[in-house]
Formats: sequence, C-alpha cells, structure tokens
Amino acid sequence: MPPKTAKDAVSGQDTTGHEWDGLTELNTPLPRWWLYVFYCCIAFALLWMVLYPALPIRGATGLLGWTARGAFPVEMEHANAAQAPMLARLRAATPEAIAADPALRGYALAGGRAAFAANCSGCHGAGGQGAAGGFPSLADDDWLWGGSHAAIHTTIGHGVRNGEDAAARGVAMPRFLADGLLTRPQVEELADHVLALAGNATETPAGGRGAELFAENCTACHGARGEGNRELGAPRLDDAIWLYGGDRAAVLRSIGEGRGGVMPAWGARLDPAVINMLTVYVHALGGGEAE
Amino acid sequence: MSLVQPIAPPALYADRLKVYPKAVTGRVRQLKWAVLMLCLGLYYLIPWLRWDRGAGVPDQAVLVDMRNARLFFFWIEIWPQEVYYLTGLLIMGALALFFASALFGRVWCGFACPQTVWTDLFLWVERRIQGDRNERMRLDAAPWSGRKLRRKALTHAAWLLIAAATGGAWVMYFNDAPTVARELLTGQAGAGVYGFFALFTGTTYLLAGIAREQVCTYMCPWPRFQAAMLDEESLVVAYRTWRGEPRGKAKSSVAGDCVDCLACVHVCPTGVDIRDGQQMECIGCGLCVDACDDIMRRLGRPQGLVAFESINNLGASAAAVVTMRAGASRVPAGMAARTPLRLMRPRSLLYAGALCAVALVMAGAWTMRATVTLAALRDRAPLFVRLSDGALRNAYTLKLANRGHGTPSLALAVDGPAGLRVTVADAPPPDAAGRPLLATRPDGITQWRVFVTVPAGLGLAASSPVTFRLLDAAGHVAVHETSVFLGPGA
Amino acid sequence: MFRFLRDHGIIERNVLLMGVLTLITISIGGLVQIIPLFAMETTIERVGGIRPYTPLELMGREIYVREGCYLCHSQMIRPFRDELERYGHYSLAAESLYDHPFQWGSKRTGPDLARVGGRYSDDWHAAHLRSPRALVPESVMPPYSFLDRPLDAHDIAQRLVAQRRVGVPYTDEMVGNAVADLATQAGPDADAVAFQQRYARARQGVFDGNPRVVTEMDALVAYLQMLGTLVDFRDVTPEQLRQQ
Repeated sequence: MPPKTAKDAVSGQDTTGHEWDGLTELNTPLPRWWLYVFYCCIAFALLWMVLYPALPIRGATGLLGWTARGAFPVEMEHANAAQAPMLARLRAATPEAIAADPALRGYALAGGRAAFAANCSGCHGAGGQGAAGGFPSLADDDWLWGGSHAAIHTTIGHGVRNGEDAAARGVAMPRFLADGLLTRPQVEELADHVLALAGNATETPAGGRGAELFAENCTACHGARGEGNRELGAPRLDDAIWLYGGDRAAVLRSIGEGRGGVMPAWGARLDPAVINMLTVYVHALGGGEAE
Repeated sequence: MSLVQPIAPPALYADRLKVYPKAVTGRVRQLKWAVLMLCLGLYYLIPWLRWDRGAGVPDQAVLVDMRNARLFFFWIEIWPQEVYYLTGLLIMGALALFFASALFGRVWCGFACPQTVWTDLFLWVERRIQGDRNERMRLDAAPWSGRKLRRKALTHAAWLLIAAATGGAWVMYFNDAPTVARELLTGQAGAGVYGFFALFTGTTYLLAGIAREQVCTYMCPWPRFQAAMLDEESLVVAYRTWRGEPRGKAKSSVAGDCVDCLACVHVCPTGVDIRDGQQMECIGCGLCVDACDDIMRRLGRPQGLVAFESINNLGASAAAVVTMRAGASRVPAGMAARTPLRLMRPRSLLYAGALCAVALVMAGAWTMRATVTLAALRDRAPLFVRLSDGALRNAYTLKLANRGHGTPSLALAVDGPAGLRVTVADAPPPDAAGRPLLATRPDGITQWRVFVTVPAGLGLAASSPVTFRLLDAAGHVAVHETSVFLGPGA
Repeated sequence: MFRFLRDHGIIERNVLLMGVLTLITISIGGLVQIIPLFAMETTIERVGGIRPYTPLELMGREIYVREGCYLCHSQMIRPFRDELERYGHYSLAAESLYDHPFQWGSKRTGPDLARVGGRYSDDWHAAHLRSPRALVPESVMPPYSFLDRPLDAHDIAQRLVAQRRVGVPYTDEMVGNAVADLATQAGPDADAVAFQQRYARARQGVFDGNPRVVTEMDALVAYLQMLGTLVDFRDVTPEQLRQQ
C-alpha cells in the first residue's frame, strides 16, 4: 500500500511526493483546459505540416501545394493587373503629354526609375551619373543627341551605332592616325587646339597649325568653334564635359583612333509604356530641355 | 533520498471548480455599477460622436483611419510618424496604474479592467435569467430538461448579443460608425471588418462568459507583478483577523466577530476566501466588504470586519488588542490604533512625479508640434553633376508634410556656398522677392525636386553645408533643414 | 515495462533508463537540424553565372564579416512584391552557393545588400564608407574611414585553399594566381584576359579612387559591387528557379 501524497505542513498544499534530502515539492495543479489548449497547439502543428511544405523530402510540398515562390508570381500578377490601366494610358500618350499630366508624370517617374535601375544603370550608372570611358552622364546639361522628350525617346528606342536597328543614331568618327589621314605631329597639334577650345590647355599653342587642321578635318561634324552637332551626335568640344576624358593623352587617342559609343535599341526590348516612362524619367534627371 | 516505493501519483491537472458569485448590495457594489456603466457607456457610444473637421475629412470624433494612416481624436489628428504621442499616452497610462495601485491596491483589477467590467455584466445577465447562486447551482446539478435547456440557451444568446455589440463597437473605432454598422447588419462589410468583429465577439463571449476568473488567475501577467507597486500602506481588501478570530457562533462569548457565515466567500467573483489573507487570486473588487457589512449590520455589530485596509493598520490593530479577550470589546481599541491613510509617501510621490514629468513632456511636445515639416533628401547618385560651363550641381528632393488643413505656400531660401543658384523642377511661381513658392497640400505631402548649382572655380571643399529654409508669408522661417553640397573637392 | 510513462519517479531512479531517454530526446532535436542538410542539393537552382569570389572580393567579404556588417545588413531578399520593388529579384539559394558562412542576416537596421552591386558608383561606396553622414545625413551607420589602410592579403592563396576545403571549386590555377589576380582586379590597366577567364564578368577598377595601393576599401567595395550581380535574370527561365 503506497503512502498517500503528503500535505505540506506550512501551506496546507499537496506535494508531488518527491523528496530530495528532506526537501519536498509543492504541487500546484495546472487547469486541465490549459493542457487541452497545449494539445490543440500540437494538433495545429501537425495539420500545418500536412498542409504546408514542412518536410525536407522531395515532392513533400504539402496538400495545399503552397510555396513562397509559387505565391510570388500570383502577387505580381495582381500588381500587374492593377497597373495595366495606367500602363495603357502611358502607352497611348506622348512623353510630353505624360510630363504635363501630374498623375501620369508621377507614375512615369516612379516606373522610369525602376526600369532605369534594371536596364540602364549598368552603363549610365545609378541616377544617370554616367561612367568614365564613353558612358555619358544623363543628369548634366550636355546632350549628344538632344535633351528634349522627343530626342530622348528616339535615342532610347533606336539606340546608337548598334547595327541592329536601321534607324539607330550615329555615324562613325574617322580614325585620323590609325587610317593615315593625319600624321602624328598633326594629331598632336590638333589635340592642343581642341584642348584650347575647351579652355583646358595649360598654354595656348603658339603659331601651330591646329586651327587650320581643325577647320579642315573637324568642323564638318564638331562645328567651327567645336560647338558640336546633335544631328550627328558629334559632342561639344568647347565645354567642361569630356566623354572620354579631357587630358591630352585621352584627346590624342580620341583623334587618332576615333570614338564611337554604342547603345542598344530598347524599342525592341521594352514595352512602349516603359520607354515613355524612361523618357520622362531621364528628362527629369536634371538636364531635360524644352521641345 | 527516500526510497519509499511509489506513492499515488498526484494529480498534476485540476478541473475547474465553477464559481457561482452571489448577488450583493452595498456601497462598493454601487460604485462598481457606476464605474461599469461609465466604462461601457464610453466604449459603446464614443464611436458615434461626431466632430466637424471640414470637407473631405472624416467627421468621427475618435477614429483610427488605417487606410489613410491617420488617428483622429476630437481636435487632434496625428500621423503614423508621430506614434510617439501614443507611446507617451501608454507610458502615462502605466504610471497612472502604478500610482493608483500604490495608493489603493488593485482598484484597476477590481473596478475598471475590461475583464472585470464585462464579467460583471455577464454575471448580471446570468442572474436575471437563471437566478441567484443557489438557484444556479441547483440548475447546474439538475438533469437536462426543457426548462434547463431554455434557460441556458437564453443566457448564452444574451451573452452572444452583448459580445456582438462589443465586437461591433470595436470595428467602429476603425471605420465610420454609421456606415460600418449598416454594412455589418446588411452583410456588405469587408472580410477584414467581419474578421475583427468575429474575433472580438468571440473573445468577449469566451473570456467574460466562460473563462472569467481564470483569465485573472492563469492568463493575466499583471496580478503576478503588481505586488511590486504595493507596500504596507497601500489599501487592500482585508479581513481584520484581530477582530474576527476565533470564529464562532454569534452567541458564543469566547468567539470573535466572524460568525463563519461564508457570505464573503459566496459573493466573491474569483471564489477565494478573503479570510485566508492576501492572495494572488483576489482582484480587490471589495464585494466581500459589502457582504460582510450586511451580516454585521443584521447582527448589530460594527461594520468593517472585511474592509479596505492597509497591512500596517492590520498589524497596529492586532498589536493593540493582543492582550484583550476576543469579542466586541476589541473593536474600539483596535480601530483607535489605526493611522489614517498616508497619501504622501516616497512611492506615491515618485509615481506622481514621473506621471507629471511625462505629462509635461507630452504637453510641451504637443504645443511645439510643427504643422509643417521638411525633409531634404540628397540624391545618392550622381553625387554631383558637372555642367558644361564647369559649374557643379547637386539635386535634392524636398518633402513638405503639411499636418494642418490650410494650404500655405512657403518661399524657399537656400543658404550655402557663395554664388549658388536654386532651380526647382516644375517651375513653381516666385514670390515678390523672386524666391520659388512651394505649395503644400492640406493633410498631405508635397514633393519638390530642387537643383542647387554653384559656379566653377570656387575651390569648394568636398562637402559644404546647405540649409533649406521655408519662409511663410510674413518672412519668418517656418521650418528649416540642413543637408550637404558635394563636389570633387579641391 | 512502460510504467515509467505514468510515473516519472522510475526514470529519476534509473540512470540507464534516463540516459537512453535523454539520448532519444536530444537526437530528435538533432535530426530536425541534420536531416534537411541531406536535401540541401535540391534547393539550389540551376542558374548560370555563379562563380567563386575573386581573391579581392573574398578579402572584401572577410572584411565584411570582420566588421560585423551582417548585424545591420541582411543579404536575403524574400519573395514578396515589396522586396522586389525595393531591392530587386528575390535571392536564390544558388547565389549563396560559395558563401562560407552565408551572410543572410536577420536584422535590417540598414537596407538589404543582397543586390547592392552596381546600384551606386564606386566613388559613392568609398565616400559613404568613409563618412556615411556626409552623403546620407539621416544615416546611423558608423564611419569606416580606417579601411583606407593597405590590404594585408599575403595569405590570400591559403584562404582560397581553405575555401576549397569546404567545397568552393577554386582550381589550382586560381590558387596559383591569387596574388596576381588580386592586384589585377584593383588596377584597371593591367592585362586582364586570363583573370576574366578565371572569374567571368568580374568587375575591375580603382574602387577607392587611389590607384597607388590596394586598400581594404578596394576589397570591400569590390565585394559590395559584386553582390547580386552574378545571375543575369534576363536569361533565367521560371523552370530554372524551381527548387527540386
């Protein structure tokens, strides 16, 4: 006959019957429903394991077939469906019209920013800051092909010297030294003149033939004073902005070997609405010009 | 270690002993009714109060507008960024709770806690339908019959009705009350509204109808640590042992005043015996005070055998009567040994001081709250742009948050490197001094892209401070924000 | 035999029984952690472009770990639309293939960095690491201007070998050229054909603006500029993203 569970003399409470070196343990019973709640939690966990992917076994994706990556495209489809009416309006409007409509403009700036980060920032840098070596900044006030909405739209759509779009912009710059059009000393004189045009030369070339050579070889594209020609994408030579660097070595290389940056034609790759949004975004970066 | 062989395994889980609180009348009960009606009245009616804020703004006096991220409280409207006001209120609430507990014990638990208020209401309903304690116990013990079924069903239906009203009122704090009430009743409300309605209906029914005192005993953390706020001078519901013991028959000449009638136990909503002394389960509602006073009155003895009393006084009285015979003669001496409740104690002063300090900070923050705020976000890329004339340009996005309902236009002035030029995208109209006027949107944010250009050849440091100031019509600086102008450095 | 199920006193009095039951309990916890490792192969997507870190990037990664960047920056974009809008395509298991240990993190005091590569310029990163508040006034990031000290990478070959021991496929050629590759990536002018063959599409440049010496800044910026750029998502089909 096992002894009854002892009561604690001080508190009058039941003990668990355990005794360690004279110490006993009071028993404070848990409410039974609390135990049932615990069982319910276990049942919930088991149900969860059956319904959702919980086991690291191939094909054990749960009865509901739910996965985070499976739910993601659905979420995106909902978002795309919600955006569809706005995109339709953006497709139908011209970039100028979009920029003039506050609602469309706000949407285009946000959409343009995202599309720019995904497609353009690789070369033109985040925020259109440009990169050394012929990737022009889109945030300054100097444009190779024009900074109006229409000009930007054309450049994005058809690209530059890409050989994939018949309407792509650009002509090739001659390779004056490599193709033997000028001699090495001539190129050096020409380079000194070009640097002087931009006010970048440390001393004016005294009595050189630079001006003469420039008039003969360069003015057709770059203009008489190096003011550039946007029809041909010939950059301005009389400002502080250099696409390929403004030191003498870089200018020598530009004249001697020619330059010709390439940009893909995005018209074939992106939705017209996205091109319109990109146009509005690039125009708003800081260098946008009136039509 | 004892090697005595197996003992009968003790029960580690206990079935609930249902509590059948008996109805009681008296001063404490009346106070409890008053607090109950005040609390419930406020809860159910506040969503219906209107407050005219003009067109396009909700006219509900108290509203948490989740969709538009605004909190309306009469003349106050706060934005999510200002949630620290809510934090301050919660801190004040906690300090007030500490303060009240230090002085008066568990008044919150016994009188104002929603668990107590709704349980009291549900008990009242139960009593109206099933009768008082003895009747309810008989009904529960009786086999199921038509009559029992009807009464039980009626009780639960009434509970569900109250619970539904509670859940309904809850969603009204988050939606326009008349609209959401109509939608709820006609089945047109959204899934979210019905979800929260069901949640609060269900929890009210469960917690106030079924779980009751178990919420306080097993679920609520407050009873576990509120003892830290109390001291020997706090008022607690207490049985004056020095007067009641030893318990005995009313006519006994050697017994104390307690006649062991169990009235205090029968009215207790948590089913404890207050004569066992302070215990965690006691919520301090004081209904046993009323019950015992009633008995004492009938016996012709002084009231207050169970009373709101401090531990210090209990000790003082006991010490004063320790040599006296049990019985009525102890009462005058014991009562005379008591000291009046001391409100000014370090503890209460500390809580009151902290409460005042937080309230002062809150009031100060509220009076100095700017209705227009400005944030200047520098473009991260490009860091700066070199223009064709060699000038440097930085671009900023200014965000103007207007928390008021006016539409002031503010003139933009920029301090920074000498010779700077400011242009704002979208060419806002200039004021008389030629500064661009930035429009604000009532209760909203306007965004402006600002270009700051500094001419070439100034030898700027890589980073120079730039301050944007917004001037009101009188030319005073309404708000300003400092950022930096970056360049390539010297 | 199973009386102990009803009376735990029996367990407490029997050391052997208690030991066996303890072992069973602990092994359940262990199995929950160990079994998924056997199925790990099935979670790695078969996308192209994943390559081991270049020596410079690896050093940058070591600095990233050393400075505890993971305490404030996660590298784990979850498959939600809001994460996509802010950070880009959700992170793939394949992108952590050569991470020992991975830098997923669990706290975003700062933004997620899983796809920070190419998002800002090298100059921005260098200036921002030197003095975060000079560029972002509201930032709470501490300054790391001390990273402008020379990079100590004398043991880079051994580091590659150590990575190889835990499964990163560094070839003998890579290990042999580790020192040279590190210098090549940090200097834009060196001939880089062989380097580019070893580490496809690795970005070269003077990351910290100082071409004279390879600094810790070079390494860290090189690492940051690589993050999330290895997989070209334009070429990835939904089938490739499916975990087996």
